[in-house]
Amino acid sequence: MSFTESEERQALRSAVADFGARYGHEYFNAKARAGEKTTELWTEAGKLGYLGVAVPEEFGGGGGGIGDLAAVCEELAAVGCPMLLMVVSPAICATVIARFGTEAQKQQWLPGFADGTLKMAFAITEPDAGSNSHRLSTSIRREGEEWVLNGRKYYISGVDEVDAVLVVARHVDDKGQRLLPSLMIVPTDAPGFEFQPIEMDIVSPEKQFTLFFDEVRLPADALVGSPDAGIGQLFAGLNPERIMAASFSTGLARFAMAKATDYARTRKVWDTPIGAHQGLAHPLAHCAVQIELARLMTQKAAALYDSGQDKAAGEAANMAKYAAAEAAKDTVDQAIQVHGGNGLATEYGLGALLGATRVGRIAPVSREMILNFVSQHTLKLPRSY
Amino acid sequence: MNIVVLVKQVPDTYSERKLADADHTLDRDSADAVLDEINERAVEEALQLQATHGGEVTVVCVGPDRATDAIRKALSMGADKAVHVSDAALHGSDAIATAKVLAKAVGTVEGVDLVLAGNEATDGRVGALPAMVAELLGLPALTHARKVEVDGSTVKVERETDEGVFFLEASLPAVISVNEKINEPRYPSFKGIMAAKKKPVSTLAIGDLGVDAGEVGLGGSWTQVTEAAPKPPRAAGQRVEDEGDGGVKVAEYLVGQKLI
Repeated sequence: MSFTESEERQALRSAVADFGARYGHEYFNAKARAGEKTTELWTEAGKLGYLGVAVPEEFGGGGGGIGDLAAVCEELAAVGCPMLLMVVSPAICATVIARFGTEAQKQQWLPGFADGTLKMAFAITEPDAGSNSHRLSTSIRREGEEWVLNGRKYYISGVDEVDAVLVVARHVDDKGQRLLPSLMIVPTDAPGFEFQPIEMDIVSPEKQFTLFFDEVRLPADALVGSPDAGIGQLFAGLNPERIMAASFSTGLARFAMAKATDYARTRKVWDTPIGAHQGLAHPLAHCAVQIELARLMTQKAAALYDSGQDKAAGEAANMAKYAAAEAAKDTVDQAIQVHGGNGLATEYGLGALLGATRVGRIAPVSREMILNFVSQHTLKLPRSY
Repeated sequence: MNIVVLVKQVPDTYSERKLADADHTLDRDSADAVLDEINERAVEEALQLQATHGGEVTVVCVGPDRATDAIRKALSMGADKAVHVSDAALHGSDAIATAKVLAKAVGTVEGVDLVLAGNEATDGRVGALPAMVAELLGLPALTHARKVEVDGSTVKVERETDEGVFFLEASLPAVISVNEKINEPRYPSFKGIMAAKKKPVSTLAIGDLGVDAGEVGLGGSWTQVTEAAPKPPRAAGQRVEDEGDGGVKVAEYLVGQKLI
C-alpha cells in the first residue's frame, strides 16, 4: 500500500496547477459575473488532454483513471478555476459511454470527450422525485425504430453550453407501467426539447436549468448500451460523479485555505501577524486536518473505483464527498472570518465561494442522503423511508 | 536536425533560497526544486524547430539525482531522450567546471546540429555558461536569442541585450542561448507526462565522460565563494500624507534618491 501518488499523477497535478494558474480566480470570477463561459480554459485544457485523461487510449484519451481526472479537477479548483462541467461531462457521461456504450457509440462520442471538443450534461433529478430514483417519471417508449421521450428535469448544470444531455428515463410498456431506467443521449437541438435557466445565487459560469421533453423523438442508437441494462450502469456513472464532486470541494477548500493563510501571515493589527493568534490559527489548522482527510478518502475512492471495486468505491465515494463538502464549507467560512470585512469584499474573491462550496452539501447527493446510505449500508441500521 | 537542450534544476524562485553554512553552496533541501523556467523556453524552441526540421531532441543535465524531476518535465514536454550527469564529485562546481562536463556530455550525443540553452539560470545567474560550452566545443555562440531561424545549414538569430538588437548568422552546428522573449513554453500534456517515464535517460558519472575529479567540484573550480550574507530585509517604506502636495513630495523623494 502506498500513500503517495504515482510520479505521473504528481506531474499531472503540477502541470495542471501551472496551467490553471495562468487563468486563475480573477479570470474565472470575471467570466462568471459577466454571464460568460470559461471557454478558453476548457478548450486549452482539452487540447492538453487534461479533460480526457480517463478516456481509453484507443479513442484518443489518456488511458488513465478517475483518479487522474479527479486530480485535474482538484488542481484547477485549487487555483480558483472550479470546472463544474468536469464533474458531469468527462466523469459521468464519458465513463458511462466507455463502460456500457455500444462500439458505435464509443466511436461516435469518446474522441470528443478525449479532447474536450464535446460536452455533455447529465440529467437525473426531477421536481417530484428528488433523490428517489424509483419515482422518476421521465419516460421513453418505443415506436418503430425510434424512442420517444417525455418528462421534465431540473437543476441540470450547463445545458446551454453542451452538445447533448445524457437523460435518465424509464421505459414504459403498453399499459403505462414504468419499468427499468435507461440512459438516453439527447442532442440539445432535438425538436420537442426545451430548457429554461433557473436563477441561482451562485457565482458560476455554469448555469442551472429546468428541462422539458415533449414527445422528443430519438434514433435507436440514442439509448446507451442495452435497453435492459437497468440501474447498474447509472450507478457506474454516479460514483465518478461523487469522486469528482469531492475533488471540486477539496480544490476549493485548498484555494480558500491558501488565501486565508497568506492573509494571516501578513496582516498585522497590533504587532504580530494575526495568524499568530490561536483564535485564528487553530480553526485553520482544524480545516487543514479536514481537507487532508477528505483528500485521502477521495484518493481511496478513486483507487477503488479504478481497480474495479464498484461496491467498495461507492461507500468511499459517498464518505469522501461528504467530508470534502464539509471541509470546503468550513474552510471558506473560516477564510472569510480571517479576512474580516475583506472576506466579503469582491476583490478578495472569497464571498463568491460561499455558494459554490455550499452547494457541495446538497449536490449531487445531499449530506442527509449520504448519512442515510452510511446508516443503512455501513452500519446496517433499519431505514426510515 | 538533432538538437541538444541544456537544462538545469534550480530552487523555485517562489521559495526561500539559502546557501549552506559550511561551503556556501546551494542548500538544496531548503527549497522546492524545479526545471528552470528559461530552460522550458529552450526546450520549447527545440520542439518547435524539431516540428519543422525533424530530428531528435536530447536533454542534457548536470545535477544531483533529484534533477531527474527536471529532466522528466522536459521529456514530458516532448523531448525524446536525456543524458543526466550525476556525480558526488561535482558538488560545488563553478561555471567553468560545469561547462567542461556539459561539453563532454554533449559529445556523447551523436550528430548534434544545435545546442540550445537558457541565457541565465535563476539561481547562479552567471549567464556565461552557454558561451563557455560553445568555446569548449569549438562552436559559434549566439547568445540572448529572442528569435531563432534555421535554414539549411545556417542559423539566424535575433540577439537582444540592453545595448540593442543584433542580427546574427552562423553555420551549424552552433550553440544558442535564448532569452525570455523567445516563446511561451507549452504545458506538458497528459500523454506527454505518461510517455516521459518510458523515454531513455542515460545516467553518467564523470568517469564515463573522461573527466578527472580534480577538474570539478569545489576543489577543481577556479572561483571560490569566500563569504556570503543574506540580503538585508527591505526597509519600511516612507509614508507621505497627501495634503494636496503629494505629487511634489513624491518628486522630492525621487530627486533625493537621484532617480529624477
